[in-house]
Amino acid sequence: MKGLITGVLGFVFGAILIASQAFEWGRIQEMFYFESFHMFGLILSAIATAAISLVIIKKWKIKSVYGNEIIIHPKPIRKFGNIVGGLSYGLGWGLTGACAGPVFILIGIHWSIGLIVFVGAVLGTVLYGVLKEKLPE
Amino acid sequence: MENILPWYIGGPLLGLIVPLVLILREKQLGISSSLKYVGSLFASKIPFFNYKRENDLWQIQFAFGIVIAAIVFSQMGLVTKPEIESSKAYVTQMDSIYDLGNWLLFLIGGVFVGFGARYANGCTAGHCIMGNAQLSLSSLITTICFFIGGLVAVHFVLPLIELI
Repeated sequence: MKGLITGVLGFVFGAILIASQAFEWGRIQEMFYFESFHMFGLILSAIATAAISLVIIKKWKIKSVYGNEIIIHPKPIRKFGNIVGGLSYGLGWGLTGACAGPVFILIGIHWSIGLIVFVGAVLGTVLYGVLKEKLPE
Repeated sequence: MENILPWYIGGPLLGLIVPLVLILREKQLGISSSLKYVGSLFASKIPFFNYKRENDLWQIQFAFGIVIAAIVFSQMGLVTKPEIESSKAYVTQMDSIYDLGNWLLFLIGGVFVGFGARYANGCTAGHCIMGNAQLSLSSLITTICFFIGGLVAVHFVLPLIELI
């Protein structure tokens, strides 16, 4: 049941990204050329809505459907990780137009290309796993 | 532009996924840990992948839903193509963006995405949307770096590739 609900949430998430063309390489390039407000508006309004939702959850102490208190952990600061990892991720995002979520959209729409990006992304994750001890945090 | 979900509807809907995932699944929105889960299936000898992967299983289910959405939209002919007017963009100068001829570019780009997501501890969903909504400094720094990396790729790397 939990899995099904999560799958449906993923479906909705994917549907929004497709309908708003956020997964399209052209839209990502347009954003990096500052030629359209679309992607900026999308991201900024998503952050704002999420932020307001978090405030409401906190203020009204909204519980999960399982009756538990909702606890939110901020991601810890990792000086090198945030900067070097962020730059690497951004580079890949700009090169392929696909960040982690849209990779799965590509698999469903342009499966051959999608699977190549996916394999690359898994290899990149493994590369991090191999190098982890040697990388500065 | 008629067939596109405008940002002022799409953005807030995306944002609402954050409380929905918290309330219905008690998880903080993210997607890139699904890649770690997949990696752990065949690289479990690496200590990094020797972890409680059940905690990340939900992202596999979430990703599965995304793939299904893409297949459904694609089969029903609901995937709209953006009309990009830019003359500069690499994408407008190719016959087909998602051409297999670009496979090396997509593979290498994918490696950067996967590596970066783990090193930075999050992706566009986890840092950019979820993290920034928490006003987390770590996520703000990471988001700025995502953007700088993307600018470098689009303004300097892609034009170089185009010359080859």
